[in-house]
Amino acid sequence: MAKARAIESLHEELPFATGAALTVRTRTDELFAHAAGVLDTDDIERVHDMRVATRRLRAVLEVYADCFPKDEHKAVLKTVKTLADALGARRDPDVQLEDLQAFAKDLDDADRAGVELFAARVRAEQREGNAILAEALEAVERADLRGHLDALADAAEAAEAAA
Amino acid sequence: MKAAAVKGLKPGDPLADSLQRIVAVRLDEVCAFMPTAQDPGRVTELHDMRIAAKRLRYVLEICVDLFGPYAREAVTRTKALQDVLGEIHDCDVTLPQVAALAAEARAQDVEAVLEAAGGADDLAPEVLPAAPHAPAHRGLATMAVYLQARRELLFARFQALWLDLEREGFRARLQFAIGERPSRSHDDDMDAGAGVEPSADA
Repeated sequence: MAKARAIESLHEELPFATGAALTVRTRTDELFAHAAGVLDTDDIERVHDMRVATRRLRAVLEVYADCFPKDEHKAVLKTVKTLADALGARRDPDVQLEDLQAFAKDLDDADRAGVELFAARVRAEQREGNAILAEALEAVERADLRGHLDALADAAEAAEAAA
Repeated sequence: MKAAAVKGLKPGDPLADSLQRIVAVRLDEVCAFMPTAQDPGRVTELHDMRIAAKRLRYVLEICVDLFGPYAREAVTRTKALQDVLGEIHDCDVTLPQVAALAAEARAQDVEAVLEAAGGADDLAPEVLPAAPHAPAHRGLATMAVYLQARRELLFARFQALWLDLEREGFRARLQFAIGERPSRSHDDDMDAGAGVEPSADA
């Protein structure tokens, strides 16, 4: 799992809203840096890293909620949540399949058919999850999530200047 | 589980003081699940405690450098808590799925066997090979046993971890750390009433 990036220039005496802008920008960069190749089911760590990045971004948006314009914040949070749910729809079967593989490694032959029956079902869920994720990624692109996140960061800075 | 609102935060307020208030609330949210979550049957509470731990960790990750040194240690401790609760949750999700598939496979087998029996008055064991999932039943039962046993082990690990956190004074030390401002001088800290870090058994 990717380590969280440190928020450069963060200082205790900075205004809360300036911290919000700096943090949202860092977490936004982190999210989009992990977007490449997430639909590849052969490398499940990509989805995991992007999901964690989404969670970190979501946490930041919630922590600094008071620094953003209400309606824009609500809309961005909803898009991020939809993306997080889609990443979860892919990640959950990824993890189950990985666990099943480890579990089946030293298993008695007589147990394999049952494990395979379950695995087949989970693989179907993984395919379904991947389709949901592909759709969500397109929706993020269409909604210009990145642009809206940048706008939120700008608005936080403006709020501080006005305070 | 919805996070508790932290009211009265203002864009112009000092960052560390605002984040201190948020961390304090998130820390209280995690700790509020105990002792309820000591009951292994409280599946919902264990899941919600995991979410609360996740929220605490992600807010701490933003601001560890603004607080005292224990804040960084607290990220590691919170992640350990989140991880073990996550693994318990995975068992709680998978176990009913395995049970449901086993029941479904059994029902399909019963149907197939009855069909193979035709209009017979009684069921002859010779028709049992008509059950399509017969080879799968044992593996599904083995999986259920494994998941249940692993869940018990993980729960014991969670209890041991929480005991460790209590012994090291996790809550009090983190509450103290978020009141510290490392960039200020020692005298400033004393003026601000930061005082002495609580002992490990706090």
